[in-house]
Amino acid sequence: MIRYDLIVIGAGPAGLSAAIEAARSGLQVIVFDENAKPGGQLFKQIHKFFGSKEHKAKIRGFQIGSELLEEAAQAGVEVVLNASVIGLYLDKEITVRIENRLLHYKGDTVIVATGASETMVTFDGWTLPGVIGAGAAQTMMNLHSVQPGKRILMLGSGNVGLVVSFQLLQAGCEVAAIVDAAPRIGGYGVHAAKVARCGVPFFLSHTILRAEGDDWVTGVTIGQVDGNWNTIEGTEKHFDVDAICLAVGLSPMSQLLQMAGCEMEEHPKFGGIVPICDPYGETSIPGLFAAGDVSGIEEASSAMIEGRIAGAAAALRLGYFSENEFALRVAELERALSSLRQGMFAPENKGKKLSVTEEGCPVSEHLLGTGFLTEDEIFRYPGVKKIKGIHPVIECSQNIPCNPCQDACSRKCIKVGERITSLPVVDEEAVCSGCGMCVAACSGQCIFLVDEEFEEDYAAVVIPYEFLPLPRAGEKGIALDRSGKELCHAEVVAVKSLTAFDKTSLLTIKVSKEMSMRARFYKKGVRVG
Amino acid sequence: MRISEHPILGIPEQKEEVEFTYDGNVMKGLEGEPVAAALKAAGVTIHRYTSRHHSPRGIFCAIGRCTDCVMVVDGMPNVRTCVTPLAAGMDVRTQYGVSVKAEIVYEIEEKGR
Ligand SMILES: Cc1cc2nc3c(=O)[nH]c(=O)nc-3n(C[C@H](O)[C@H](O)[C@H](O)COP(=O)(O)OP(=O)(O)OC[C@H]3O[C@@H](n4cnc5c(N)ncnc54)[C@H](O)[C@@H]3O)c2cc1C
Ligand code: SF4
Ligand code: SF4
Ligand code: FES
Repeated sequence: MIRYDLIVIGAGPAGLSAAIEAARSGLQVIVFDENAKPGGQLFKQIHKFFGSKEHKAKIRGFQIGSELLEEAAQAGVEVVLNASVIGLYLDKEITVRIENRLLHYKGDTVIVATGASETMVTFDGWTLPGVIGAGAAQTMMNLHSVQPGKRILMLGSGNVGLVVSFQLLQAGCEVAAIVDAAPRIGGYGVHAAKVARCGVPFFLSHTILRAEGDDWVTGVTIGQVDGNWNTIEGTEKHFDVDAICLAVGLSPMSQLLQMAGCEMEEHPKFGGIVPICDPYGETSIPGLFAAGDVSGIEEASSAMIEGRIAGAAAALRLGYFSENEFALRVAELERALSSLRQGMFAPENKGKKLSVTEEGCPVSEHLLGTGFLTEDEIFRYPGVKKIKGIHPVIECSQNIPCNPCQDACSRKCIKVGERITSLPVVDEEAVCSGCGMCVAACSGQCIFLVDEEFEEDYAAVVIPYEFLPLPRAGEKGIALDRSGKELCHAEVVAVKSLTAFDKTSLLTIKVSKEMSMRARFYKKGVRVG
Repeated sequence: MRISEHPILGIPEQKEEVEFTYDGNVMKGLEGEPVAAALKAAGVTIHRYTSRHHSPRGIFCAIGRCTDCVMVVDGMPNVRTCVTPLAAGMDVRTQYGVSVKAEIVYEIEEKGR
């Protein structure tokens, strides 16, 4: 039996952060992960993260993963891959399967950071090849560079469904529709708006009736459900698709904790059965901790902080931290954690219908039902002002924990303030240079620059663009509105791809003046009519 | 279809092209990629048929958890193709039920699927 000060199970953001924190305090740490590559969920996330600087906002998930790995290596953390932990016992012994061998280790402390597994739903034909989990779609396209299908229907409008839909579009697939049985979109409005403006329709209060095909998926039929989850006759809609992607939820993978004999509870807000923990993640078994999605489904940003707190608590338990050092360190971490757990998507607001923002702006029902704001609604929000000359138009309408837009602007045009969940405010007095840093930095891709005085009859609109092929300056095409509908002729007048933009290119399109507050996406081609 | 260039991830890491067989037919894939990825890129979607209802199964989780993607690889049944790296000359076959008694610990669960 090999002994370590700390054994960490799972090398996702929570596990790696826990290991780094503990190793830096002097503990001898080993991390096991069942995958061939460490990083957990992070390596499939190719979008820019929310939060603020201390939460690594604006950095893409996979890059956060690489940073953590580097930190872990520097801290002297040992990471063992292709190693599934199959047993965890009361005395903090574990059984690990590496290839076909079973090995035993003992930790003076153990942190379980096994993350979550996808929950599933069943419908006629759900076992057909072509019905896949959202995680599988991400693994195929983002890790193995193979499209999971040509035309895909997404079930689930939470952040996972929305983010994976956008990723499918980036991988060159078509997304036929996003379907959800709930009456409102569950994820961030800005994630929904990104896919809506590409023309993906939302079907809320709808569910999959059947997947079609003899040997693999060739189509799908959806139907509307009433308040009692019964399908309403005559509302069936068919789509030709070759894949159906399920993004209906995640549940904590807490089996190991259960096996060890931790006290558990069923907690709907946390996504399932979770261990009962103290504020530092310690379970009912002294020296056994849980951190990240396994103790309640949240985000990578919170998982990293929870991991650090558990790592510090393990260091305290083994005497590597004094009570004082621990208190100071944890206070700092808890402040960072609580700033994330505010706003409309805070755990306590789960399932609640909110009708106004913290600022008192009405929440757009239209956004929650179709994925986009209407032109009349956008002026309700403090990020949208009528200003002469080039200026930012910020279509960010929900209180989400996020503020890279504020940090991006050296001219102080954008203010979020102390509370990072506040809506960004555009300052009419500050003078925008049109540098585009805010557009590229915005994790929600909801900032546009508009210049109504671009030319006599024409306005310029700057839009974030993360697709290939990249349009070229001089190219003529079509401007699309927020729903992805063709709006008017557009000419690409500039394409900017700077290193500082981190793979988000900025297209400047020229449209007729009256379209400046409607044109929000661009497509190559010739408009008919 | 393979993604030849991605707006965020760029051009995929170059890997050696190798030949393998799928139900006896020669196919091409990339060395080290999961067998399931090579099959998907070549348009193969059915990995196995269940023993009881003879219904087809393909990739479902892609991370080695659900066992839907198991096939007979180099004579060994119940190999999870989504987490098994492709090597030159591999003999990959559709699995019908559990054709040969499994020697490894993974059990095929029917899971009511
Ligand atoms: C599509 C999508 C988009 C997301 N977008 C964001 C975002 O914008 N911002 C954000 O902050 N978060 C985002 N998240 C959430 C974030 O990815 C997760 O909350 C986070 O990864 C949880 O971290 P974790 O360390 O708890 O678990 P994971 O990342 O799941 O890592 C757990 C690891 O443990 C391993 N493991 C499990 N069991 C065992 C075992 N028995 N033995 C060995 N290893 C084991 C797993 O294989 C895995 O590698 C997103 C998630 C998804 C799916
Ligand atoms: S374009 Fe530049 S100057 Fe203008 S608001 Fe954005 S970051 Fe500030
Ligand atoms: S506008 Fe600011 S707060 Fe809103 S999503 Fe973009 S970066 Fe975040
Ligand atoms: S697809 Fe689930 S184990 Fe391979």
